[in-house]
Amino acid sequence: MSRLEAKKPPLFITEPLTKDGVSQSLSLLSGILKSCYGPAGRLKQLHNGVGGYVCTTSQSSAILSRLPVSHPVLGVLMASVQNHVSRFSDCGLFTAILCCSLIENFKSLNIASCTVIKISKHLLSFCMDYLKSEACGCRVAVDFSSVETLLCLVRSILRSKPACMLNKTEVDHLTTLIVKAFLFTVPCHAESNAVLGKCVIVPMKGRRVVDSTVLPGLLIETPEIQLANPLTIKRTSSNTIKIALFCVSMSGDSFNPEEGTITVHHGISLEMSELNQLLDVGKQLVNDEVGLVVCQKVIHPSLKQYLKENSVMAVDRAGLSLMEPLSRMTGSKPIASIHLLSPSCYGSLKDVDIESFASKNFVHLIPNDTLVCSLILCNRNETAWDELKRACETAEHVLQLTLKEPLALLGGGCTETHLASYIRHKSCSLSTSSFEDTDCSQAEYQLVAEGFCRSLESVARSLNHDDGEILTDMVYGHCWFVPPGFPPVSNWSDLVSKCGCGINGNSENLKWRLLQGQFGSPVIHDCPKEPLVKIADFLTLDCYAAKCSGLQVALETAHLILDLLYVIKDQN
Amino acid sequence: MAFRDVNARRHIGLQQLSSLALAGRTLLGPVKSCKFIVDESTNQSTLICSAVRLIESLDLTSAAGQLLNETIQAQNKEFKTGMSTLLFLVGAWSNAIMECLQQNVPVSAIVSVMSEGLNSCCERVQCLQISIHDVNKELCSSSVRPNTFKSKTCQIGCDSLPNPQLFLYFQKDISVPEVIPINSCSHQDDDCNFKKHLVSPLAGFGSVASLVKPVGDKSTSVISRSGVTTSSCNKQKLTHSRYFSTLGKSYFSSQQGNFQGYLLGTSADSCECCGLGHLAMALSHGNETSMKLLQSIVTYQQERAEHSGSSQFNVAEIVTCCLLGLPESYSCASPGFVTLVSPEQVTVVEYFEDKLLRILLIDGDLTERYRHLGFNRSCNVRTIVEHPRLQEEDLWLSRMLDNLINFEVNLVLVKGNVCENLMERCIANSILLISSVTWNVLCSFGEVTGAQPVTYLTQLNASFVGSGAQVELWKACDGRAMDLGELVPVRVKARGIPLLTAVLTTTIASKMQLIEDQFWTLVYRLHHALNDKKVFLGGGAVELLCLSHIQMLAEQPLQPANQNAVKEFHNPWLAASATEYKSVVLQALASGWKQYLLVVMCNTTAASELEACTSVDHHLRKAADCGSPSAYILKEFRRGDLLRDGAGPFAGHREGLKVYDNVTAKTEAWRRALDLVLLVLQTDAEIITGPRKNQLLNSHASSEYMFL
Repeated sequence: MSRLEAKKPPLFITEPLTKDGVSQSLSLLSGILKSCYGPAGRLKQLHNGVGGYVCTTSQSSAILSRLPVSHPVLGVLMASVQNHVSRFSDCGLFTAILCCSLIENFKSLNIASCTVIKISKHLLSFCMDYLKSEACGCRVAVDFSSVETLLCLVRSILRSKPACMLNKTEVDHLTTLIVKAFLFTVPCHAESNAVLGKCVIVPMKGRRVVDSTVLPGLLIETPEIQLANPLTIKRTSSNTIKIALFCVSMSGDSFNPEEGTITVHHGISLEMSELNQLLDVGKQLVNDEVGLVVCQKVIHPSLKQYLKENSVMAVDRAGLSLMEPLSRMTGSKPIASIHLLSPSCYGSLKDVDIESFASKNFVHLIPNDTLVCSLILCNRNETAWDELKRACETAEHVLQLTLKEPLALLGGGCTETHLASYIRHKSCSLSTSSFEDTDCSQAEYQLVAEGFCRSLESVARSLNHDDGEILTDMVYGHCWFVPPGFPPVSNWSDLVSKCGCGINGNSENLKWRLLQGQFGSPVIHDCPKEPLVKIADFLTLDCYAAKCSGLQVALETAHLILDLLYVIKDQN
Repeated sequence: MAFRDVNARRHIGLQQLSSLALAGRTLLGPVKSCKFIVDESTNQSTLICSAVRLIESLDLTSAAGQLLNETIQAQNKEFKTGMSTLLFLVGAWSNAIMECLQQNVPVSAIVSVMSEGLNSCCERVQCLQISIHDVNKELCSSSVRPNTFKSKTCQIGCDSLPNPQLFLYFQKDISVPEVIPINSCSHQDDDCNFKKHLVSPLAGFGSVASLVKPVGDKSTSVISRSGVTTSSCNKQKLTHSRYFSTLGKSYFSSQQGNFQGYLLGTSADSCECCGLGHLAMALSHGNETSMKLLQSIVTYQQERAEHSGSSQFNVAEIVTCCLLGLPESYSCASPGFVTLVSPEQVTVVEYFEDKLLRILLIDGDLTERYRHLGFNRSCNVRTIVEHPRLQEEDLWLSRMLDNLINFEVNLVLVKGNVCENLMERCIANSILLISSVTWNVLCSFGEVTGAQPVTYLTQLNASFVGSGAQVELWKACDGRAMDLGELVPVRVKARGIPLLTAVLTTTIASKMQLIEDQFWTLVYRLHHALNDKKVFLGGGAVELLCLSHIQMLAEQPLQPANQNAVKEFHNPWLAASATEYKSVVLQALASGWKQYLLVVMCNTTAASELEACTSVDHHLRKAADCGSPSAYILKEFRRGDLLRDGAGPFAGHREGLKVYDNVTAKTEAWRRALDLVLLVLQTDAEIITGPRKNQLLNSHASSEYMFL
């Protein structure tokens, strides 16, 4: 007998942002994220509390994907940041921190949220126009004729992930490798629809970082290979190696039906008939002059033996993740059935080799062109390796984005403070027509602009995790850090040597002022200038596309959350 | 999800690391004390004597504990040595960093100064590296020396010396015992080295004093286990089995038999070819049982290498076989593969004796149900059986047996398990099946017999069967065949086989693991030394130089060079704040190595911490006064005087062996230890994932957590 239970009515929560719990959770989340930000950021240990793997990280992608939150407001925020990260890989923490700060700052203004939204949209358009304009003082053009800027971009990413546990030489080594791997994936002969290749990361945990290396082509791990025997591989007349790529299991068990029962007479062995079919496939492969057979899954030992006897090399258990790059690199089509074997599926390789790293042996497939390459990534322990892998993937993605849009933004907090001083300057010198456009008073506009600027500056402030002061200068609007333990004196030039991004030195008097916290008095600004020399070595640079998107995502998400009027909870 | 703030002034993670590492204190240095770890719930206990086994046996639910475990396992997997150093330094540096936190040193300053400091030290200690070539020369010539001095032709020994500095040193030594009255203790390491070589293949220790004539009295105390002249309790611990020293005597007398029975021992006259044997001794750090085994392995492999041109020392060609129930003195190295078989198979083995066998290698299980990895057995195939008498398995058995008989196979080495019925049938047909054989053993036999591993017997054709294998019962050194009750050791060999089995014996079950671990540690030390092509001076030389280097760094004002570094690093706020706290943090880094030296000294010489501390400080002061600390340390090391204060209560006790250490394993252990501590230091919160919110809310510690 079924039992009926009355449905509970849904729960309505009005103006969720005004509730205590929400703002507490929001500030806790913002605290967690702020504490992770930058090269000196603090790490988080993510684990289940009962032993087992511990993930030590300061990256938004790792933290946000594992943080189950109870409140829908936080859910909205995290979902949009994660969406940004999945598209751009970089600037996740920037987006999340900015979004939290915007919500906090705007909420404390006591101005109707629709007005706030209108004004801040206006401010965002200022920012975006400025970032896109040639006159923008916080962006640099990326010159692909030299690798220096690319190295700066990658180095900045690696250095901002302290849980990778890299020292300076290791950062430099990996930076070079990542840029090298990226350059491998760029086609030599650009056509109108050129497609970038792929860099596959090969894990090598427990080794020193400096043992990492990049190889053109792909590596497939083969645990039990007899290294003593020299490779005997059949080659075609054009001295290439014909390769057949199987994505179907060749272990001889494919007679296994999903459901139902097969009844056979005694003496009939399905296994044998399956094996015979496999050996027929083998015969055809040998006839077709295939030199190398790669299978995603397992190859039956008898088939392997048959192939070996006919000097065809068989490599199995290549894994799903290698299939796409394999087929791309060799031009072969993955064969999904052992019953249909068309010669058009075969691809070709330049050479095959055996490589050994530490205790692992790999079959190295060397292609005719190097669009696909392998980054053998080493780090001393697992948690640091995982963090490094995420960082390398981010760096690779950032380089790809930069290739599309060859610009970079100054890092180290300088873009944020520079934008803030630009907005301050801009909002002071607005014509009255602009206020009419946004239906607000000048005072309201000023207040919102100030909140906006403080939110930007609070991102720069989160780069500092010790008790030192943070300054900005009145000339370039860059961000400067004072080591902890010094009293706030007037003569800052003794205490600072370089700005956050490293482009300005303290040679001229730059009229420093403290980057105020939440309740400082607004300062009137001139339009911040562009630094005189734009290209210098060892700059901290951020990805242009990722940061621009982050700025927009943060603002739009903040708007959405500020605009929330009801939360309706289904209690059943 | 719950969130816990760990970064109070007293950092919880660092405290956890520090207390876990404390348990490993006595595992440091050449003289270790074993520990019993008792499981309170089952009352079972394990005997452990290494950091890996310690960490394995501990309950590590905390995040810091997990990371420590991961780090130690990684070091073990990569090097098989240096784990105790790693564990100890984790503890020492955690403590030192907690003190820095107490003094309000910012985290970023600690991180940057410490990692820069370690880098700088690793570069500095490179001057204490010696190439394997030079070490071999030096060790060999020092062991040849007594011969030369007997014949009064010391030039021969001197000519082969690696550098003038050493030349002077050896020249002095050589003339010491007879020509000039003993004026220093510097000759003893060489003396002793020699005697060990001479003694071990020839006689037990009981008769040493009469056998080896020209000995100074100090040296006698080294080799005399009965302590003829001076009290030598510490020395006993150092040179011989450190756990059950009463076994020592019988061990040596029987070891002689081993070497004569199977292999040549290392002897003074064959020194050119057994240079690795000396190196093995210098790396053994007092672990004599393993050292002897390794020396005989090395001799065998080197002889083989001379004929075949293969590498001098190959770890992959060494396996171990643990025999429980025999005294430790029966340990030895046997060419070929020694393993245990059931008593039923003994008749087959005896039948095979002196015959050349046809051998087959199976790369899987030998059972009816076995299929290769990745084969998914279908559960919904039903077979209609028309002749119910004929069982499926019987059919399989007879097919397999027919196969083996057809190809005249006598011996089958199987990687996995073997079906018991097949085993019985094979015994009846005089076919020997040996199960659980590792892959490298299969490869070795494949190499010399021409056999190729197959997965299924059905794959078999004549080309896969090898020939020329031999089987015999394994006999202990006194010629006695072993009957250990349930299982019988047999030896499988083939002409020219590169494989060697180290047969490890003990009568104490709980020591088996420990002995095996220690053997492998030593094997890998030699392996890494050869891979690195260089070794560190041991006996605290490297740590001492680190200490003196840090002293110098701490006194250095910020130099222009450093400012360049600032520019490169474009990390102005870090670098600037770092200089502010530099000396405090560098002291913290130094305290790790200082503690290390003190504990090693306390463990080995039973000196008090104060005495040890005085001795270390004394050396540091002298090193600083001397102008070139590395030269001072090198000199003291050559004299064998390092960290043995001449005026101290143990003067003259630890002369003897020159001690060397692995380069990469050691510096990597340092780096991993520091990385772990800094990783935990920079962590300010634990985020507990998964659906345990309610559990945490109700727990007594719920106030520690925050919830999102």
